[in-house]
Amino acid sequence: MARLQSTQQLRQLKERIVAEKPADRRAIAVCAGTGCKAFGSFELVEAFRAELEKQGLDKEVELRPTGCHGFCERGPLVLLFPEGRLYQRVKTDDVPEIVEKTIKGGEVIERLLYEEPGTGKKFEKEEDIPFYKHQHRLVLRSNGLINPSSIEDYIAIGGYEALGRAFEMGPDAVLGEVKGANLRGRGGGGFPAGTKWELCKKQPGDLKYIICNADEGDPGAFMDRSIVEGNPHAVIEGMVIGAFTMGAREGYVYIRQEYPLALERLNKALDEARQRGLLGEDILGSGFGFDIKVNRGGGAFVCGEESALIRSIEGRRGVPRRRPPYPAQKGLWGKPTNINNVETWATVPLIVAKGAKWFTGIGTEKSKGTKIFSLVGKVNNTGLVEIPMGMSLREIVYDIGGGIPGGKKFKAVQTGGPSGGCLPASKLDLSVDFDTLIAEGAMMGSGGMIVMDESTCMVDLAKYFVQFLRSESCGNCTSCRDGLDWMHSLLQQVCAGEGTMELLDQIEQIAETVRVSSLCALGSTAANPVLSTIKHFRDEYEAHVEQGRCPAKVCKSLITYTIDADKCTGCLVCAKRCPESTIEGEKKKPHRIIQDGCIKCGVCLDVCKFDAVHVE
Amino acid sequence: MPVQVKINGIKMSAEPQETVLQVARRSGVHIPTLCHLESVESTGACRVCLVEMKLGGKTQLTTSCNAGVEDGMEIMTDTPEVQKHRAANLEMMLGRAPGSQKIRALAREYGVYESAYVPSEDPAIPGCILCELCVRVCEALGHSALAAVSRGGKKYIGTPHDKPSESCVGCGACAEKCPTRCIEMTDTKKTRTIWGQTFDFVSCETCGAPVMTVRQRTHAVETKELPEDYYTTCVACKQKNLAGRFARVGS
Amino acid sequence: MEKTYVVIPKNCTGCRTCELACSMVKSKRDEAGALGKPRIHIYPTGPQRYMQMTCLQCVDAACVKACPSKALVLNEETGAVEVDEERCVGCGLCEAACPFGHIRFDRDLGLPLKCDLCGGDPACARFCPYQALEMRP
Repeated sequence: MARLQSTQQLRQLKERIVAEKPADRRAIAVCAGTGCKAFGSFELVEAFRAELEKQGLDKEVELRPTGCHGFCERGPLVLLFPEGRLYQRVKTDDVPEIVEKTIKGGEVIERLLYEEPGTGKKFEKEEDIPFYKHQHRLVLRSNGLINPSSIEDYIAIGGYEALGRAFEMGPDAVLGEVKGANLRGRGGGGFPAGTKWELCKKQPGDLKYIICNADEGDPGAFMDRSIVEGNPHAVIEGMVIGAFTMGAREGYVYIRQEYPLALERLNKALDEARQRGLLGEDILGSGFGFDIKVNRGGGAFVCGEESALIRSIEGRRGVPRRRPPYPAQKGLWGKPTNINNVETWATVPLIVAKGAKWFTGIGTEKSKGTKIFSLVGKVNNTGLVEIPMGMSLREIVYDIGGGIPGGKKFKAVQTGGPSGGCLPASKLDLSVDFDTLIAEGAMMGSGGMIVMDESTCMVDLAKYFVQFLRSESCGNCTSCRDGLDWMHSLLQQVCAGEGTMELLDQIEQIAETVRVSSLCALGSTAANPVLSTIKHFRDEYEAHVEQGRCPAKVCKSLITYTIDADKCTGCLVCAKRCPESTIEGEKKKPHRIIQDGCIKCGVCLDVCKFDAVHVE
Repeated sequence: MPVQVKINGIKMSAEPQETVLQVARRSGVHIPTLCHLESVESTGACRVCLVEMKLGGKTQLTTSCNAGVEDGMEIMTDTPEVQKHRAANLEMMLGRAPGSQKIRALAREYGVYESAYVPSEDPAIPGCILCELCVRVCEALGHSALAAVSRGGKKYIGTPHDKPSESCVGCGACAEKCPTRCIEMTDTKKTRTIWGQTFDFVSCETCGAPVMTVRQRTHAVETKELPEDYYTTCVACKQKNLAGRFARVGS
Repeated sequence: MEKTYVVIPKNCTGCRTCELACSMVKSKRDEAGALGKPRIHIYPTGPQRYMQMTCLQCVDAACVKACPSKALVLNEETGAVEVDEERCVGCGLCEAACPFGHIRFDRDLGLPLKCDLCGGDPACARFCPYQALEMRP
């Protein structure tokens, strides 16, 4: 692979690749993100390869394993170009048929198309599917178009052109664009990236660092993983542009050890970028040199906090420290350091390539551009969604997410990861942007979005998140470490129906101390799930302590399972499956649950075909 | 260039590298601390030095031990908000260290007499408030024999891999500086046992009483300019011997 | 440094008023155990002869050299070596290093105890009934 000596050579390379692989040629893009991999997409790629060879189509049709397409619910996904036709839940057995009928014959296989739940309507093209139609995919779009392990694919779609443009513009003009775009940090804080860059750029000294925070730790969130897996070069390009702007010579990607596929693709991308002269000394003949090291995180949630992350790179215990001094002033090894998260870095090349004006045309007044969310929980279409800032929660949950499955009622949506807040149905029309969510006691966070239906107990949910944060607190501050532990014990009491209404006041008071007197953002936001659920779902808390009742029928101490003798047919299935053997009864006679031995696991309810098991 | 700050409404001039706590104490304003020492890094662990800070139109609570002064900062050290949250943090620490007189006395100042908090994990060291002052003191002494292990409520203080540390010299500084005095240290005439390790004492040449541990002396000789023969006699004998020498010179 | 602390053993009757005065003045702190820990000690050296022993405030002090945390500092005004309690890390090396036994590490307080000349007006000299301890110009 020859080094590119100038932006001219980069352009020539692009032209050559595009000539060899025109955009309208036949291609099969198989999603090879972690989600589809779990559904067997790697095997699918091999099956396609074998089948294409067998049919002698391997030269004519490009087989492209790609990064995540977002619609993980329906994986493995196969996207057929040039039509943009989407087949979902594809199995290796389907491969010969797809090649025979669709590739060769141009015929659509109805069975593999996406069918909308409820309406039964089928969609042929990806862009028409409601899940995709309502999105605005700037960062994620490329995921379906390129093989993340091929730098040529990235260059073919205009990759690294923004870097060339940055070299032509000069650092001040690039900074001007980033500031003008009002790009706010996608990692959670929403701090303007341009302001951070400017502060770091202004610091004296030659030795500066930039860091990409890929320590995505929110349960259920996989935005950053999917970007690194699907388009690692976008992150690298963003970092090189940032380094050039701020005058940094060295960068780090701090990435979770639990992301093996992302790590593998990132390392491959870094190697290829180096070989192409897009990293290392004298990048694109500009005289500017910069390289990136990869640092693997050990799985501590708190290491996603920038000061803890920096300490972790330094080889110390990942504990946040007080800011100021900010990393831009005193960061890694005491030197000026700029740290942004994966999504922010991946957005930078788009802004440099298309300009601040284009970017500010998307979004709200104070939150520009798009944001990726991992939409999970009790929603029909789970997956990764990229939306323009300012879209309402309702549009995300119902238009993109397809609503709540099983005809159940929407109860709440939690945004911002474990320390985000829960918003009730009355807040569904809120605009999703940094400031609106904060004002409502929730937050954007890094983009976790969990939908809950009526079968979720909000007290139990708050207890779960407090439990998570209690274990993940670094343990430095008394208020965070002991306050969360204390809150957890009190929430356990609520879930057990113990205590009085005073317990709720006590929980709120401790939550307040955790919020105002802890050092870092983990502590100061840790009380959000509790405070927001008490605020919006106080009646559920009251039902627990005052009436000893769990309205969602979740808290085990407050529910009992019984068998309706009229409905029970005496089939013995529940009795056989009960792990505690605590269901008695003879064949063809009504069964009975011996309450003393019941562990309330719910297996009987799940296995009964006659709707005879009740939970109260 | 000095910066201008206000502490409890009184204007103060401060050096930019000073902390809020330093400026407050310098001007005679009392702020309680439990895990702070000027000679070690301030981590803001115990949270009792919380103060209210107004800067750039924003008011928030912050620990004063690790907050650097900034121009225009307005600090209030004793507002109801400060008292409330100091009290809450003290109640949590009292839950961890119900036997500590120091915590109990300080908690009492904030109206906390008993703690309703009971830690859910059994502590590795009863009475430990996990402030890591011992860890920081040990690091400042150049030993780094101690560290915080694990996170959240499972966090505890220990030696590497919970085995006797090679770098521990048995000086006992950790135990001496612990705000709750919870680190077990057992001295006999000849030995000291601490952190699962027993150290031999250097015995006084005159009376045989302990002077310091042999390991501490070796470390001191290696790192400080005083030779080994400075560390041979116990404090009582040194003074008594000198008194005798003076008397002989006098007569 | 306007005045010098002078010890005059021939005037000393061994009444130990100095020790008492020192303990009282230095026991202002509210922590238990400080009272009764004087920084000056009277040693009988012969019949009716006594020697008052307290810190010599060495110019090139071993305690200062041994301290790893710069917790022992010379007060330029009084000439006394003082303990900065906010800096002491409690290692006890000062006690081990002082060749004269004039600085004692107190295990109850976790701090070294030594004479600091009470900021220039030492209580021992003020209370000595026999002019055996004086501040002289």
